[in-house]
Amino acid sequence: MSWTVLAATLRQRRWSLLWYSLGLVFYSWVMVWFWPQFQGTEYVDIIERLPEELIALMGSSGADLGTLGGYFETEYLGLMWMLIVSSAVILYAMKAVAAEVSAGTMELVLAQPISRVRFIVTRVVGLVIVSAILTGATFAPIQLFGPRYDIELTGETFALLYGLGMLFVLSIGGISLALSAGAREAGRPTAIVGGALGGMWILHILAEVSDIAGWFEPFNLLKYWRPADIINDGAVAAEVWWVYGGVTVASIAVAIVRFVRRDVA
Amino acid sequence: MGAVVECSALTKFYGRNRGVEDVTLVVEAGTTFGFLGPNGAGKTTTIRCLLGMLKPTSGESRVFGERVTLDGAALRGRIGYVAGDVRLFERETGAWHIDYIARLRGAPAPSATELIDRLEFDPSRKVRELSKGNKQKLALIVGLMHDPELLILDEPTSGLDPLNQETVFEIVGERVARGATLFLSSHILSEVERVCERVGIVRAGHLVAEEDVSDLIAKHLRDVSVTFAGPVPAGALDGIEGLTDVTPSGDVTLSARIRGDAIDTLVKRLAAHELADLTIAHAKLEDVFREYYVHEAEVDA
Repeated sequence: MSWTVLAATLRQRRWSLLWYSLGLVFYSWVMVWFWPQFQGTEYVDIIERLPEELIALMGSSGADLGTLGGYFETEYLGLMWMLIVSSAVILYAMKAVAAEVSAGTMELVLAQPISRVRFIVTRVVGLVIVSAILTGATFAPIQLFGPRYDIELTGETFALLYGLGMLFVLSIGGISLALSAGAREAGRPTAIVGGALGGMWILHILAEVSDIAGWFEPFNLLKYWRPADIINDGAVAAEVWWVYGGVTVASIAVAIVRFVRRDVA
Repeated sequence: MGAVVECSALTKFYGRNRGVEDVTLVVEAGTTFGFLGPNGAGKTTTIRCLLGMLKPTSGESRVFGERVTLDGAALRGRIGYVAGDVRLFERETGAWHIDYIARLRGAPAPSATELIDRLEFDPSRKVRELSKGNKQKLALIVGLMHDPELLILDEPTSGLDPLNQETVFEIVGERVARGATLFLSSHILSEVERVCERVGIVRAGHLVAEEDVSDLIAKHLRDVSVTFAGPVPAGALDGIEGLTDVTPSGDVTLSARIRGDAIDTLVKRLAAHELADLTIAHAKLEDVFREYYVHEAEVDA
């Protein structure tokens, strides 16, 4: 790992990271602030009367909307949050390699005495830091402002949300980095990751009504992200850790191997 | 003296497109080698293979006796590289680049201040605010500021004004005098002749010739345009060996092409006449190729 490259990486991403983080903090605060006004309103009844597929489209895994977990999953963590953090880490991963190759700055850096392994490992460390900051910007405000608005998360629940949330972000970032590591420009890998996530989302919705789409569910990354279960029950199935952890480790390994073997100019 | 740069049957294809093919060359320590060729000939591809940025399709390259690999970080610590197509971090300043590269190299840059002064570069400005020439200056500063043992310069004066070109050649000359080895890629014949002792000529991905610069100079092709004060004297340029393509242009002007050291004979012959104007210019590199190397290749074939 190179501290010099890491410092430069974070410096060059500082504004986008700041705006993403501020956005997440604000969004989380709004969700916390709105919770007391949301409870017991007709809005909950109206939503719960909607078809299951439509509720799923809003990001719910079927949890009771009247519960804190159901509320956060449907209104925030089940869809919008995934879109926000995914776009942030995809952006980071593309700039980490593919965009630098196409911009030509990779040539400047790799003309210096830094090994490719050190370089890409540093980019991975940067991804971990970015993921940690984004996840922190999401869940810390809930924990911090929650008690003022009738939201009490235990330390364990917060740790589970933070840990699994970060692993989810890392898995998306890892896949993006694996594609970016072998690309000459950022457009194509961005489209592939975006398309794959969009496809997973559609299949996830269709799985509610289609057996064929249901067959894909075990391979669907989005299926395993169920914040309502964590918030309501403090529960995460062991397989979820393995799925996100496995995808993260495997995709990062692929990114390193691809980058070390590729032409960089 | 040992070899600092060696390419053995170096070949690089980008898919079906040829970068370079079967390039074999040796550059001895402390010497200056010019890699001359038109744009797209394969000069930059060869350099990128030498730096371990591209993986050769076949063949190999060695720098300081060590085989170049994609992860040859230690080797690059001894090389100063200035890219032909300068790409920098647009949102950062020159000072940031200098500091960043120094940190990556893990050592202070002993010549940075001197180079900044001599190239009259303002490091406080952001790269996006710099002209092409100033970006080139910054690339030269970060490439040379560590006093590397091997300078690999790819079109280093591109975008610089003549005064700064002069300064760059002075700096490079000083580094070579101190023992550095120079590998200079260029498509400008006069630039290579001025700085290098030996030259490799690359065309369409192949090294078509390798020779001493003195031999190349002897082969010089020049385009001559003579305007006489009156009508062109009969037989004014007849019988000069090496003078070809003599073409009248109007009543008072002749243009021609002259090879090698016949220039001396030409000038002496013209001295006998009253001239209104005289222009002598280096022929284009492509014409040199056509005149010598393509012809030689055809004869060999």
